Amino acid sequence: MTKLGMVIDLNRCVGCQTCANACKMQNNVPMGMLWNRVLTEGSEEMDGVSGIYPHVKKKYIPVSCQHCENAPCVKVCPVGATYKAEDGRVLIDYDRCIGCRYCMAACPYNVRVFNWTEAVRHPGFNYGDSKVPVRKVGVVEKCSMCKERTDEGLDPMCVVCCPAEARTFGDLDDPNSEVSRLIREKNGETLLKEKGTKPQVYYLGLS
Amino acid sequence: MKNKANIYCWMGALGLLSLMGFGALGYQLVNGLGVTGMNNAVSWGLYITMFMFFVGLSAGGLIVSSSATVFNIPAFKVVAKPATILSTVCIMVAGIFIMVDIGSPERVLNLILHSQFKSPLMWDVCVITLYLTINVTYLYLMTRPSSDQKKLKVMSSIALPVAILVHSVTAWIFGLQIAREGWHSALMAPLFVASALDSGLALLIIVLVLLIKYKLFTVDKKLITSLAGLLVTCVAVDAYFVFSEILTMLYPQEESVMLVLDEMLKGSMAPFFWGEVILGFVIPLAILLFRKNREKTGLIIFSSVLIVIGVFFKRVWLLFTSFIYPHVEGAPGITLGKYLPGENPNVVPHFWLLHGQYAPTLIELMIVVGMIAFGTLLFIVLSRKILIEKAQETKRTNQNQSFESPTAV
Ligand code: SF4
Ligand code: SF4
Repeated sequence: MTKLGMVIDLNRCVGCQTCANACKMQNNVPMGMLWNRVLTEGSEEMDGVSGIYPHVKKKYIPVSCQHCENAPCVKVCPVGATYKAEDGRVLIDYDRCIGCRYCMAACPYNVRVFNWTEAVRHPGFNYGDSKVPVRKVGVVEKCSMCKERTDEGLDPMCVVCCPAEARTFGDLDDPNSEVSRLIREKNGETLLKEKGTKPQVYYLGLS
Repeated sequence: MKNKANIYCWMGALGLLSLMGFGALGYQLVNGLGVTGMNNAVSWGLYITMFMFFVGLSAGGLIVSSSATVFNIPAFKVVAKPATILSTVCIMVAGIFIMVDIGSPERVLNLILHSQFKSPLMWDVCVITLYLTINVTYLYLMTRPSSDQKKLKVMSSIALPVAILVHSVTAWIFGLQIAREGWHSALMAPLFVASALDSGLALLIIVLVLLIKYKLFTVDKKLITSLAGLLVTCVAVDAYFVFSEILTMLYPQEESVMLVLDEMLKGSMAPFFWGEVILGFVIPLAILLFRKNREKTGLIIFSSVLIVIGVFFKRVWLLFTSFIYPHVEGAPGITLGKYLPGENPNVVPHFWLLHGQYAPTLIELMIVVGMIAFGTLLFIVLSRKILIEKAQETKRTNQNQSFESPTAV
């Protein structure tokens, strides 16, 4: 079995937002929403610091769908539009979603976004990969681990574009894969572990 | 005659309001849910609040009418008809609010074509359909000239557990989710049953008194008194559950729970929380606990209105407090999901929310008011049809044989 996953090394992340924009370009994500956000921890401002001077710290944490093994969003979808694919990715069938947004309420990571209105794009055309389906108004979307790329054996766009090489993509079920090695050797941790969702995105240097 | 003119006036006004609501709904269908105040952080809004509220309101009717048959309380049997009509209309309005909230309503058939039974929403779709069917069948059986007592009895013994189930399943939509701090509680289902009972009963009392006023129906005053007695019990149980829930949240002083609780006790949701405690619990209990007060229709109506408002407030704080604080915090937060270009096209507008924020828009309010007006109109039409026919019929039977007059309890 394959269980696709990702490792993000927070000690390498410089908070440049490249992955967020690479994702937006690849997946044709409209204005006003992102599949992948780079959050500044402990601050109210982007690029801010936490703590009181001189004891301050700056830390970034990129957050997108964690492709949970025990995914609450998959369980609650009344029409099975959100599903767990064989290879471990959590995907959405955009032609089936009825837009009830139960999955948004059920996801503890707030990574799902909804097409509240007709998509607005700057520049005004579909800038995404032509293989990525265009979503209509009234459906939910989120990170697909670049389904259209990973189906062909390519890495997701955020992994390719990250200038700090903070991201690694691979098969968590294969003990010899780079992701498994990193998690093992560098103590990979998951977000909101206590929720028991078993994310397939691991972070190095989380705590 | 003046009475009739009065009713027509009301029906006209309600009709206009419904038209306005459907107009607004058309606007929403064309433009998408973006016309509402909902966003990626607070992804459910007033529609879901109204859905919960109306599922609850439908409880009173069916529970009173079916317990009349199941537990053989002949006093309640008299109001079975208006009670069931009320119940039917409320559950229909609840269903309408779910449909209104769906982002791709043209795909609603997927609920049947691709049902996924692990979803509590799917359970709710099934159980509400069942509930509606039972209500309608029940109504049909009751209005037949020769009502078959045996069939009625069977129906009502199914109706009672299904009614309890409807409220529990609606609670589980929220209670089974780990993502929202304020929802995940085993007490959610009993709490929903209790508040469904008190708001439902309160509405039933209000409606009965109005029906009497407009001469569509007659009941003995004693019945209203005994319903008020039932009502005060339900309010007390509801208050007890809420207290137990809050204490359980408060006592351990867990950080993530305290965020939510503080918002409820002294933050943006405090008006709704304390509003519920005062309007929904304290005042009605202070009035209705005394037997003497339960004989005064004015006081009963006053408390019933407060209880309905109180339960509405509960729906509001229950839904929204849990949307305010995302578990994964960090600047700039969550994307709004909407892009509203400002004056200068070269400046990208701010589309981030650090914490959940929501306010209903005018369109949303118009739809909500319209759908409630539509429900009220439906209720009036149905009551006039069913209850007046009944009144005439009883007159006729009274001439032949004088038994079972609806006024004598
Ligand atoms: S992170 Fe959210 S959307 Fe992604 S699989 Fe987990 S629950 Fe679902
Ligand atoms: S919004 Fe779409 S994907 Fe999400 S639960 Fe509803 S139908 Fe499923």
